[in-house]
Amino acid sequence: MIGNMVDTMDDERDEVIERVVGALSPLPQPRSAAVARVLMAVRARRAQPVSRVRRAIWWAEDTAVSAKVAGLLAAASLTIGFVARGTMTEQVTYAGAESTSIEMQPVASMSSAVPVAMAFELANAKTVSVVGDFNGWDPAANPMQRVGANGPWSTTLLAKPGRHTYAFLVDGTTLVADPRAPKAKNPDFGGDASVLMVRTP
Amino acid sequence: MSPRTNNLLLGAALCAAMVAAHGVGAQEARLLSIRDDATRDRVRIFVEAARLRGTPTEPLVSRALEGIAFKADAKRIEQALAALEKRMRRAKELLAPHATVDELAAAADAIANRVPEKAISDLRRIAPRRSITVEIGVLTELVAKGVKPSVAATMVRDLMAKGATGAQLTELNAAVQQDVALGVTPMEALVLRTRGVMSLLPPAASVNAAQRP
Repeated sequence: MIGNMVDTMDDERDEVIERVVGALSPLPQPRSAAVARVLMAVRARRAQPVSRVRRAIWWAEDTAVSAKVAGLLAAASLTIGFVARGTMTEQVTYAGAESTSIEMQPVASMSSAVPVAMAFELANAKTVSVVGDFNGWDPAANPMQRVGANGPWSTTLLAKPGRHTYAFLVDGTTLVADPRAPKAKNPDFGGDASVLMVRTP
Repeated sequence: MSPRTNNLLLGAALCAAMVAAHGVGAQEARLLSIRDDATRDRVRIFVEAARLRGTPTEPLVSRALEGIAFKADAKRIEQALAALEKRMRRAKELLAPHATVDELAAAADAIANRVPEKAISDLRRIAPRRSITVEIGVLTELVAKGVKPSVAATMVRDLMAKGATGAQLTELNAAVQQDVALGVTPMEALVLRTRGVMSLLPPAASVNAAQRP
């Protein structure tokens, strides 16, 4: 019985030893041309940056969001989108007519605007900016710079062709009409404003 | 649905919301410059209601900020917004069938300055396919400076029908302003300067071709 066990162990040992020997035996010598091709392919792959789209796809593949969470987030996003609809480019249509849209352009869209130079003299002002319907009456949009120590205030702004009303905002508090421009009546708010006519370029 | 499909749908919905919210963000940022909470809330409510009524909101926001610049209170700003919206809706009818927001704002301004409504629709009829913002602006300024509205409307309409460009009309307006500053009456100045521009315009046959889109 002991003899049988020794025989079995010898058989198993031989088989294991053969596998170890096979694994440790030297690999065949690689062909240098094949190695070069592999290295070149690796370098070429490294040189191509991974695009954001591909990264996003990888993220989408790797990151799992449950159907319930995805549904809730999508519903919330679409609700925001619905409420906010039409504000990027507002459109109003005339009923029952062809090609009848009113094309809305936000203030930021100034593709047809032309540069207009402005100057204003007020020696004791600390800050002056131009506010008008061409910049949505935004005091931060067109600040003026003083020319020299006590020179006039000046700036160049962009305005679309047409009639605009504007004023100078002095020290952030006082609106002053441009003394060198035609006056504009302000029926809604009173006060003085000036008129700027911008011609088509 | 697979997790991957969930993610893709979620991404698409987020993109749609971001694109739509971009405009709101810009307009909301402008409204946030109104420091008084009560005034800002009243303006925001009015603007949102106007949006739902189909009125362009950008001129309304601009008018609200103009009111802030002129230190008007909330009630007065709200009244001004209501008046502007009413004029814009009328302008939309006059400028049909096609108008840009700039034309709409210019026409609302013209109505506020007592330009005859028919004059606005006449200008649109002459140039149905191109912007008439400048032409409306010149007409508004002439009327605002004391030219009789019916005369100003006729002069601008005739000049436009004969092919006068927006630039020519702007120069005409500047010349009239100079004449008025020198003591000439607005009516006399307009008649005189209109003759000058008329003499520079091409014959009628080429004008009709030029007015086509």
